[in-house]
Amino acid sequence: MYLWLLAAGLTLVFGVLGVLNFAHGSFFMLGAYAAFTFYEKLGINFFLSIFLSLVSVGIIGVIFERFFLRKIYDIDLPYQLILTFGFILIFDDLVKMIWGGVAMIPPMPSFLEGNFSILGRPYPFYNLFIIFAGLAVAIVLWLLLEKTWWGRMIRASASDREMASAIGINIPVLFTTVFIFAAMLAALGGALGTPVRVVAPGIGTAMIIQAFVITVIGGLGNLKGAFVGALIVGILTSYGILLFPIFELFIIFVVMVIVLLVKPEGLFGK
Amino acid sequence: MAKNISRRKFLKNAVIGGAAIGSGLGSYRITYGQAKKAAGPIKIGGQGAISGAHADYGWQMTAGSTMAIEEINSKGGVLGRKLEMKFMDEELKPATAVKNARYLVTDWGADVLFGVDSSGSAMALGPVLAELNRVHIFCHAATHRLTEELVAQRRIPQIFRISVPTYQDGILPALIMEDFPEIKRWAGIHEDYEYGYVAWNTFKETMKKVRPDVEFVSIAWAPFWTMDFSSHIAAVMAEKPDAIHTTKWAGEGVMLIRQALTMGVFDNIKAWWQCMGGSVDVLQGIAREVEADKFKGKLWASARYIHNYPVTPENRAFVEKFIKRWGRYPNYSAETSYSSIYVIKAAVEKAKSLETEKLIAAIEGMEIMTPAGKRYFRPEDHQAVYNVPGGRVIKSPDYPLPILGDLRVIPAKDYYRHPPFTPISATK
Repeated sequence: MYLWLLAAGLTLVFGVLGVLNFAHGSFFMLGAYAAFTFYEKLGINFFLSIFLSLVSVGIIGVIFERFFLRKIYDIDLPYQLILTFGFILIFDDLVKMIWGGVAMIPPMPSFLEGNFSILGRPYPFYNLFIIFAGLAVAIVLWLLLEKTWWGRMIRASASDREMASAIGINIPVLFTTVFIFAAMLAALGGALGTPVRVVAPGIGTAMIIQAFVITVIGGLGNLKGAFVGALIVGILTSYGILLFPIFELFIIFVVMVIVLLVKPEGLFGK
Repeated sequence: MAKNISRRKFLKNAVIGGAAIGSGLGSYRITYGQAKKAAGPIKIGGQGAISGAHADYGWQMTAGSTMAIEEINSKGGVLGRKLEMKFMDEELKPATAVKNARYLVTDWGADVLFGVDSSGSAMALGPVLAELNRVHIFCHAATHRLTEELVAQRRIPQIFRISVPTYQDGILPALIMEDFPEIKRWAGIHEDYEYGYVAWNTFKETMKKVRPDVEFVSIAWAPFWTMDFSSHIAAVMAEKPDAIHTTKWAGEGVMLIRQALTMGVFDNIKAWWQCMGGSVDVLQGIAREVEADKFKGKLWASARYIHNYPVTPENRAFVEKFIKRWGRYPNYSAETSYSSIYVIKAAVEKAKSLETEKLIAAIEGMEIMTPAGKRYFRPEDHQAVYNVPGGRVIKSPDYPLPILGDLRVIPAKDYYRHPPFTPISATK
């Protein structure tokens, strides 16, 4: 589900803005750091700190989009990759300067502690909470894109940028909003993970490759594809570890290669 | 907040140190050979991971070695000469480590080298050391192949290791946990690289010898920087093991233990052995859970040095000074790098020279008292032999963070591998 949140933002930005944002994982990391700071250092309520972390990463997203990404919409993909990759390193080192290099661990909110039994196996409450949070985001995203005016504008400009601006859609503002939204999705993934993970430089890069695999399997720029892709990758990893511990690592890549060969546009790609 | 201040202070010192090095260079040109150099400082080149996700390990190295150098210089240096250090970032990349070593020796004029976090970097560096002809004391990189293949077999005598080899994390837990007859079914969750393979294979090998009744029921391999261990934990728990042996270290180790807690693992097993769990960063990460007794005394750990062992004046003084100087507890990298500097000092004093051949002769067979206890550099493979205990993770009223208690010490000289070295199966 963390992967879904991350992949959703990645695919949204690619679909609408046409930018492959490598630094997306950094927003995941920044979300985790911000949530950690609000929750652990400032002692703010768990849900409120998640919300505040989304807001702060949203602000960073605005700056990033307005001053850097905007300049490169029209140039080739390799240059976009280089710029966004550079930002991964910059964000990682900034984080280290502010918070230090030691992995930090926030506590689990007590109401989400514990586990219950499914088919005789203990299952943590927290994971259940994450599953529902992920589903909720999926539903909200779907409603937003399919049922609202704003969603229609996004879909319109995704399919034809010039036409959309010709009929009076303010493309730059729309792009900024979409980018903020995507950054906040990544931050939500990072923030939700803090109670069971660590907050450290590099956690974003650890996730971004898997997020890319997911978007490739599902079809770049396709939200439904990202959701299904995240489920496929999650399930394959789990069963891979259980059934083929020796080569579980490359199973998801094998699937990605097969998808690329058979249906290069991805499972849900157009 | 104390941490931040000390970091800043450290940075400031590093800048001043760097400036000193810079101004030193102008006044005196270094030639490649050692013989031409007369007085001036003794130059020690170090490297470790000081950027990236594991930068804190490199920080601990610079902190430990800087402190040793300050101590020695305030007492007049070595043979009347001051020590001077330059510490570089190896980035955990073999090519960078090699480049750094060449720079440190040929351009900067290092007399001795130390450091290196990554085993990959260490293996790449080994053959280059023979060519540069400088003693290098490795204080973290743990691959047994460094000393067994490069020193004992390929005869690169410039290599010494002051820290423990990888198989320590297989053999020591087996020898300690053999005393628990009720634990019969072991499972492993391991690093998906050489360290994990060697630790798990030597653990199984040793355990089979001392406890033929033990079974190894399941194993999961988790690659470097795994974030979500729930599948690994579920997979090994499906076989209902009595105990789990794991090599996951630093932040990943903390994540693994905490995720195991949320999955109720500690209600269903009798013991959990966390190889590097005795490292201060891990203990800090699980402090709250230890405080609440969530592990029910079932969490066992070791490291490459732990700050509450041995109980000697040397160790107490080291820990107290370190906390005073840096505002943090030293982890094993801090101790091994601190002791590396003292080994260099002892070697130079004994050899009365900086010539590499004489230094090698001085370190071979050296016995030296260090914070981690007495170390003996055995001549056959240049591995330092010293005892690191294993124990239960407990809360002690004397320390702010959890420590290892119920310590069990097994003499390292009895279980370290001896020549002729047979290869350890380093595969899954």
